[in-house]
Amino acid sequence: MSGSLAVELLAVLMPVLYAVLVLLYGLAFFGTYPAVERVKARVLFAVIVAHLAYLALRTAVFDHPPITSLFEIMSVLAVSIAIGYAYIEVRTRTGTTGFFILLLALAFQTASSLFVKDSPQIPAYLHSYVLGFHVSAALLGYTAISLSAVYGLLYLLLYREMKSTRFGVIYARLPNLEMLETMSDNAVVFGFIALTVAIVIGILWLPRVFQEYSYWDPKLIGTIVIWLLYAAGLAAKKILGWQGRKTMIIALVAFGFVFLSMTVINLYLSSFHRFH
Amino acid sequence: MDLLSIGISHHTAPLEVRERMWFSHEEIAGALTRLKDGLFRECVLVSTCNRTELYGIGPAQGIDGTSLTKLLIDVKGAGGTVRAEHFHSVESGGAINHLFKVAAGIDSMVIGDIQILNQLKEAFALAKEADTMGPVLNRLMQATLHVGKRVRTETSICEGAVSVSYAAVELANKIFADLGKKSALLIGAGETGELTLKHLLGKGIGHVKIANRTRAKAEALADAMGGTVVDYDAIVDALRSVDIIISSVNSPSYVVQPEEVQQVMKQRWNNPLFIIDIGVPRNVNPAARKIDNVFLYDMDALGAIVDMNLERRKTEIPKVTRIIREELAGLLRWHNSLEVGPTIQEFRETLETIRSQEVGKHVNRFRPEDRELLDLVTKRIVNKILHHPTTVLKQGGEGNDHSNESILRVKTLRELFGFSGNGRDRHED
Repeated sequence: MSGSLAVELLAVLMPVLYAVLVLLYGLAFFGTYPAVERVKARVLFAVIVAHLAYLALRTAVFDHPPITSLFEIMSVLAVSIAIGYAYIEVRTRTGTTGFFILLLALAFQTASSLFVKDSPQIPAYLHSYVLGFHVSAALLGYTAISLSAVYGLLYLLLYREMKSTRFGVIYARLPNLEMLETMSDNAVVFGFIALTVAIVIGILWLPRVFQEYSYWDPKLIGTIVIWLLYAAGLAAKKILGWQGRKTMIIALVAFGFVFLSMTVINLYLSSFHRFH
Repeated sequence: MDLLSIGISHHTAPLEVRERMWFSHEEIAGALTRLKDGLFRECVLVSTCNRTELYGIGPAQGIDGTSLTKLLIDVKGAGGTVRAEHFHSVESGGAINHLFKVAAGIDSMVIGDIQILNQLKEAFALAKEADTMGPVLNRLMQATLHVGKRVRTETSICEGAVSVSYAAVELANKIFADLGKKSALLIGAGETGELTLKHLLGKGIGHVKIANRTRAKAEALADAMGGTVVDYDAIVDALRSVDIIISSVNSPSYVVQPEEVQQVMKQRWNNPLFIIDIGVPRNVNPAARKIDNVFLYDMDALGAIVDMNLERRKTEIPKVTRIIREELAGLLRWHNSLEVGPTIQEFRETLETIRSQEVGKHVNRFRPEDRELLDLVTKRIVNKILHHPTTVLKQGGEGNDHSNESILRVKTLRELFGFSGNGRDRHED
């Protein structure tokens, strides 16, 4: 039982670690603390390693990957957002957007740690490889979409400051508009592809496993709406030449739907797609 | 530290006075040679458009701020315009503190000005050429440059544009990721416009175009800057292909209207358009600001950026002051350690002289077989007396935070035992 105790302790610890991380990135963004600037990236990597260790331990103790419930998946989403951000920070050498993105990771991890339950016994179909692909694709998609939403939000904040000519900390610290837009756009394209894969696998595979499967399920409809929103956004960009503010608003609205789909629909409406 | 400094700066004198005290490189070399000749052991003269300052180590007897000021005014032959009250004079720690403040850019006219550090480097190099650098100034130079470097890396006092033309470049960098892939169009002539274009070129802007009512002017500027000329009547067409527009035309009415911009934005697939309107009266109808992906800024907006950056720089001053305090303490500790060694040496020698003299005087009263013992015993007494004071002095000399106390101890000891001058002079000779 010591293994499950360790898992419980780590589950409590993870939001604390993310809170520390967010605090450091917040200090670096809103103030000037050279010491914080120097250590924040190292702390980020340490937290990612700790989080992966937590997930590995969870997998070992409960004998299944942590993808069987919404709150387990939220934890995986949190770490994959953190990893995605770490990649961006290393790649672009700009560490100023971390506060906003890691705030999202903190939110997901906190929700996960608060509500996650140990589930030693899970239905047999959750051991399927196909499920693994479905969930991985969905996770990658949601991670990318989350990143695109944060960058979209930052773009809009900076855009507003620059248009109003009231220059504040957002103007002083954020990278340029073009870079924020490119980040958001790239994340949307990546997320859209991953989401498409997840949906296709879901539609083909789920009816075979679930007796009560229905094409009118709120989860499926919600996901299709999200997919259509992103498709419309991408089309507006390609065909109508939309750029900047308008496409960023679409990215944010679509993310709002993603959030609804993950919370309200998953918890209260869906007939299948919840496993406990 | 026996450092004496006098100077004239924008704090103490207006431009017409300062300019009379400006020294060219040749004049600096001449003045330094003259000062080294019997007035200072080491000296350096800094002269920029905002200040002329002299720092001298080990002033000769009778040399003080007043006499030095007179001398410097005489060297420039500026007696009529420049008066003694235009100068400030500081000594030792105060002078170092002032030099550090200058290097840090908090004494500059535009706070955080980074040019000054290079000018200081130049001044020290000139002093080296004139052979007026010595061990103390060398160390002072290192500490000064270190202050400058730390201030730049540890604070953001040098960050943010503080001129209108740089503010435009700062904005461009907030809109575009890579200026190398962008192009700019300058409409009209004017100093600020040209300066902005130059800064953009300095930041590696991909291509520049120039339009002017007088085509010859545009051609001359395009030749000088390596750009191409655009017909003044075809400006609106040019808006389609450029990303940055700098407009400074003398025109009673708007040169560019919102409808035109709206039209152009469609043609350029909504690619962001950055317009810097530095014309007074304005060249671009401000209504164009409302169009998506159009970033239009006039003189007021650019001025707001400059003001904001200056304010932000001011908030960094406490950090800068802290760095200066740290470096000042370090320098004083070093300087103090210079005096501790020779002082201990002198202390030891003085007591040894007294001992050997007294032993010599009375040695005949002792039996020959006791004389060796007499020598030994008296030496032991002297060593025991010396032991504690030298230990305490050495501790102060090797650092710690008691530099001021230690300076006082050395000074007191030298006074009590009547050691002349300061220890370092002896040491160097």
